[in-house]
Amino acid sequence: MAQALAVETHGLSKRYSTGVMAVNDLSLLVKTGEVYGFLGPNGAGKTTTLRMLSGLLHPTSGTAIVAGAAPGSPASLARVGAMVETPAFYPYLSGRDNLRVVARYASVSTSRIDPVLKQVDLTDRAGYKFRTYSTGMKQRLGVAAALLKDPDLLILDEPTSGLDPQGTVEMRALIADLRREGRTVLLSSHLLNEVELTCDRVGVIAKGQLVAEGTVDELRARSGGRTLLIRATPLEQARRLLESLLKPDQVKVVDDALVLSVDPSQAASINRRLVSDGVDVSELRVSEQSLEAVFLELTEPPHVGPAQPGEGHT
Amino acid sequence: MIASLRAENLKTRKRWANWILFGILLAWIVLLTYLTLYLVLRLSPHSIQGPVPASVLKRRLFPENYVPTLLNAAGSIGAAILLIFGALSTASEYGWLTVQTILIQKPTRLAVLGGKLLVVGMTTVLVSLALLGVTALASYVVVTIDNSSSTWPSWEVTLKAFGALVLELLVWTSLGAFVGIAFRSAAAAIGGGLVYLFVVEALLGSLFRTTPVVKEILKFLPGINAGAINATFPVTIRDASATTQLVSAGRGMVTLVIWLAIFTISSLLIFQQRDVGGS
Repeated sequence: MAQALAVETHGLSKRYSTGVMAVNDLSLLVKTGEVYGFLGPNGAGKTTTLRMLSGLLHPTSGTAIVAGAAPGSPASLARVGAMVETPAFYPYLSGRDNLRVVARYASVSTSRIDPVLKQVDLTDRAGYKFRTYSTGMKQRLGVAAALLKDPDLLILDEPTSGLDPQGTVEMRALIADLRREGRTVLLSSHLLNEVELTCDRVGVIAKGQLVAEGTVDELRARSGGRTLLIRATPLEQARRLLESLLKPDQVKVVDDALVLSVDPSQAASINRRLVSDGVDVSELRVSEQSLEAVFLELTEPPHVGPAQPGEGHT
Repeated sequence: MIASLRAENLKTRKRWANWILFGILLAWIVLLTYLTLYLVLRLSPHSIQGPVPASVLKRRLFPENYVPTLLNAAGSIGAAILLIFGALSTASEYGWLTVQTILIQKPTRLAVLGGKLLVVGMTTVLVSLALLGVTALASYVVVTIDNSSSTWPSWEVTLKAFGALVLELLVWTSLGAFVGIAFRSAAAAIGGGLVYLFVVEALLGSLFRTTPVVKEILKFLPGINAGAINATFPVTIRDASATTQLVSAGRGMVTLVIWLAIFTISSLLIFQQRDVGGS
């Protein structure tokens, strides 16, 4: 892929005929060769966005360039493999015949079918009717169909949905392989762990708006980053002392422990001060802000708002 | 378009529902139109009430009348089956969500639906050919079993009848495909299509045929116009069920071509413009 950006959207919006604003002024930049995670709670607008990028939905306003061309144009689709929402195939055809149908539509040689079946580990069941497939097998066939075109860009909507733990691990390995092959992957998920393990960068969407974008570490840092966790006795005396030393909103009590939003380099001085005031410190450690906490903070209603210029895009 | 055509051909060929539908149509012609009626006329001729005796009525099943018999069947069971076929071919794509799978491949939306409509149209032509052959064969078997003699219609009449048959069935197939796209549900498309066919066309067409306002509306409906074309292929015996046609055969043909164009263009326009997925 010659472009530096695989996906570029500016002010992309979609209002359905029901009046629901599913996506609102979304500006995304997905770099060529990266795995980009599109993260958000159910109903946030992830699938609507992916549908617009695949040409299935017409945007109400805004522009998008996908693989160097307008979404849904033959030039774009020729370089994009996609699986949007559920893997949808003909139930009366076998997995292999379904891929033959897809290959014919895509003008791809049927010699690609066996390699992609092998890639998703579906060769043994390729002759069975699609209607007999388990959810995980359907998911794998969807990925196989997306790979059939040997695409530069893969758009995968919840790729591990319905997979068992083994299948999830295999899917992650497949995505890692795709990145090594130099392909760009744009995947949506509401599973934080999945995004954390597979993605180079993450865009967080809530109520149709992009609320944050960056690497997982950048998102953690933005949301307070690392904290100090202290277990001390007596707890109340320790809390009062720390609140007098720091700002009150920097001190929280969580599960009988004190969580301090301070630079971890202050750990030694805080420990000395607590001990000198007669507080017993049984545990003091640096705690990583979990992506889950960041996600909840970003997507909870009071915090929802469009990404500020310069803070999101990297 | 070629890519879509090839993909659509594979899907249509391998779909058992299509073979079952066409099997029902051919079996209906052989078993109900020919075999049952022949057995009744042969074994129980006195059960037939009416001005035409059974011995004469039997000639309706002979080769000399296979063309009007075929067109008569095509206007009822044939129309229903082809309407269902058209509706299934488009509406199922929405039911299975496969419409989104095929639209994220390479062809444009117009090429995708154009390929589908072409395959559906070609299938309709092949079904028409099969209908013609099976009806002719059934009439030949009847006249042979009956040890009677009959003449075949001329090649010119046969070709004209085949043209009429194809045109009429194409209109019903395209109506089915259109309602399939419009409703995005096979059940709604088939239900709505059959209600139109048997209530609006058949019932209104027979009960209110002489009511002035209804009569003017009926002149524009596909079934009435198809009937006018079929009436130019009369049976060789006295036909007590014959009715006065509301339009001429020429106008009927033009009207059917216009309906075919309307259903096809409307399908393409909706398919091109409408969002896929979402709410």
